[in-house]
Amino acid sequence: MLFNSLSFVLFLTIVLILYYAPLLNWTNKKRMLLLSSYVFYGMWNPPLIILLWISTMVDWTAGNQLNQEERPAVRKMWLLLSMFVNLGFLAFFKYGDFLLENFIALANAAGFEYQPYKMDIILPMGISFYTFQTMSYTIDLYNKKIKPARTFLDFALYVTFFPQLVAGPIVRAKDLITQFYEPKKASQNQFIWGLFLLTLGLFQKVVLADVLLAGTSDSVFSPGQTLSFLDAWTGTLAFSGQIFFDFAGYSTCAIGIALMLGIILPDNFMYPYASLGFSDLWKRWHISLSSWLKDYLYIPLGGNRHGITRMYAALMITMLLGGLWHGAAWTFIVWGGLHGIYLILERLQKQYLPFKITKWNGIFLAFTTFTCVNITWVFFRAREFETAWSMIKSMFFLNPEGAKILPTFQMIQVLTLITLLFLTHWGMRNTNVKEVASKMSPALLGVGWAVMIFLILIAQGTGEQFIYFQF
Amino acid sequence: MHLKKSLLIALALGIAAITAWELYWRSKGYEPGLEDTKELWAVQRSRVDHATEKDIVLLGDSRILFDIQLDPWEKETGVRPIQLSSAGTTPLPAFHDLVENTDFSGTAVISVHPIIFFFSTNETDFLWNRIKSRIDHFYTRTYAQRLNHILDIPLQKTFTFMRADDEDWSDDLDLKTLLGNVRIGDRAIGGYPPFYRFQDIALDRNVKMFDKVVKDTAFANSIIKVWTYQGPEPMPAPDKTGTTAYFLKDLEKFKARGGKVILIRFPSSGGLLQFENEVFSRENFWEEIVVAADVPAYHFEDYEQLNQFYCPEWSHLSAQDASTFSTELARILIKDQVINN
Repeated sequence: MLFNSLSFVLFLTIVLILYYAPLLNWTNKKRMLLLSSYVFYGMWNPPLIILLWISTMVDWTAGNQLNQEERPAVRKMWLLLSMFVNLGFLAFFKYGDFLLENFIALANAAGFEYQPYKMDIILPMGISFYTFQTMSYTIDLYNKKIKPARTFLDFALYVTFFPQLVAGPIVRAKDLITQFYEPKKASQNQFIWGLFLLTLGLFQKVVLADVLLAGTSDSVFSPGQTLSFLDAWTGTLAFSGQIFFDFAGYSTCAIGIALMLGIILPDNFMYPYASLGFSDLWKRWHISLSSWLKDYLYIPLGGNRHGITRMYAALMITMLLGGLWHGAAWTFIVWGGLHGIYLILERLQKQYLPFKITKWNGIFLAFTTFTCVNITWVFFRAREFETAWSMIKSMFFLNPEGAKILPTFQMIQVLTLITLLFLTHWGMRNTNVKEVASKMSPALLGVGWAVMIFLILIAQGTGEQFIYFQF
Repeated sequence: MHLKKSLLIALALGIAAITAWELYWRSKGYEPGLEDTKELWAVQRSRVDHATEKDIVLLGDSRILFDIQLDPWEKETGVRPIQLSSAGTTPLPAFHDLVENTDFSGTAVISVHPIIFFFSTNETDFLWNRIKSRIDHFYTRTYAQRLNHILDIPLQKTFTFMRADDEDWSDDLDLKTLLGNVRIGDRAIGGYPPFYRFQDIALDRNVKMFDKVVKDTAFANSIIKVWTYQGPEPMPAPDKTGTTAYFLKDLEKFKARGGKVILIRFPSSGGLLQFENEVFSRENFWEEIVVAADVPAYHFEDYEQLNQFYCPEWSHLSAQDASTFSTELARILIKDQVINN
């Protein structure tokens, strides 16, 4: 079920009525939320709920065993079981076709004629998110950083909680499960603020991403064309805005919906396009994933504890796997690799060419970071390398005869919006929406809110899926 | 933070704005109506799975969609056909789906629009891909999408501002279309003429042409411009051999299980009819497919009851003429015992 759909409006209304009507005690409210979460997921493809159940059962069992067991070898076995099941799901459902394709290519290159049937495996929605979330629970228990969930219901709800089930934020057990222990109820202000965040998230997704940017990005990244400098850059900037508004929009909706239930979810985006460098970017973009990769991949790989070479290797491996997490294709690995290179270069710069960031050079640095990020988006968005290379060449003036495919108004629309996006991120770097809203007059906030509602309604979204559902 | 106050202001202004927006478009002559979405098509497609051998399925392009009116047809035959035709699409993928993925052994009435029927069997071609995406949607649609459709219907029937079709009409009222109509300069502006909605559709996908097409010649001409638009690329040569072979293979299988097929060449007029006769001559296309298929086939020119009509925008019948045409066609088919009443 998509947040930007009528069925979700009906679903959320029913959930809120059941949640706030004096019919159920807290345990039954949690049962209702769990059942609702399965309905939310099952409305897409009911049989795939079984995967959720398996993931839940395996990590619940492994978690309990890890809590009781003291023998290191047995504890490691339970951890490996959880890893095997969760990563096994990912390997099969998400990377099965990719692995097979590459195996075939290798076999053919080695002279073996091997052409099996294509598996056409369906990608379960949100599998990358909930498997990472459940794994974090088990790993934290293995490392004795957390206590196990008090009840199976609390744990199952942690795995399945519908606002963040299919596209995050990837919430840690210590931040969410404990919230289920005591009855939760949003205050009036929390409820209304949650509703505001839901509106803001839908506005970002439906109006900004789908209506104003997606068309341009789709046209420009269609394969088989050689574009002019302006068209290539406009299309890339459009995608840059689209993916931000799409994904940040989803996270904002999720945080808002959870808040309407009295549950606090962590921020997932902090104005990333005004980042001062790439380590700053990864503290601001998809925060819940980057912190997951840092805690469960980069640090276990050695982090910065074993010298510079090992640190760079750990950084590169983390970013390459981070790229692969986003999609089963070499273009995503290149995207991750580019970010890995950026991070390494940034550390080298800090070591050998340090300079102080002031308010004068800050915006220039932010703009440079944003520009470099846009180059990586080309590989993220292009479905094949041929398209990506053609785009990159156009962006660097290497296709002087490139085609002009975007009408003037469409370009103005995209460039204006992206400029505003960048300046807004710059202006909001050290604050947040709530702080800004609290300084506004209630009337002005109400007018802004009304404009968003109006634009969402006239946008007539066709229920476009969120980009991150495919990851 | 006085969020309650902000919320009340937002709701009041939001409702006022959307009401003003709705009234504005109504004052411009727009009316609410259903959209021909892939979900609307899928609902009709699902009826085939429960259809009997007495049932009739309509397949093809917009001519069969406009020209067969379900009420008069049902009145004559006692059977309300399942309308699976779709504007600007070849009937071949939908017939293939019918043959390969259902047990249907009733009657398939298929439109032979010469330009479209013989176009190609390439799945990436526009005329093929459009109907293929609807077929694919039927098989992949989620329960959430089905529920969205159910909830969307009463809204589409109530609010004018919700007019936004899969067809992407130039006069759709969604924000994307409204912004897309803004033009500055002539950079990358294609020569494709604006294409305005000229029909209404019902829940059972019965389509009726707007009276405006009959009464407003300028409006009718705007649609004729679309039919006669020649893009930057020359029209590819028809793949008569490939399309015929594709159709005959499915037809053979369908016939073998007791299914019946009726081929119909629906009326066209003016310059379009002239073009069709010149480029897709009756002898080389219609006659050949009729002989090869060996099924009942009806060309509008051959029947006095069917050749009296003029298509106001050269390709489809007005609602009133379509009603008469449907009655007359049904009577001919009954008389020939091709279908029963």
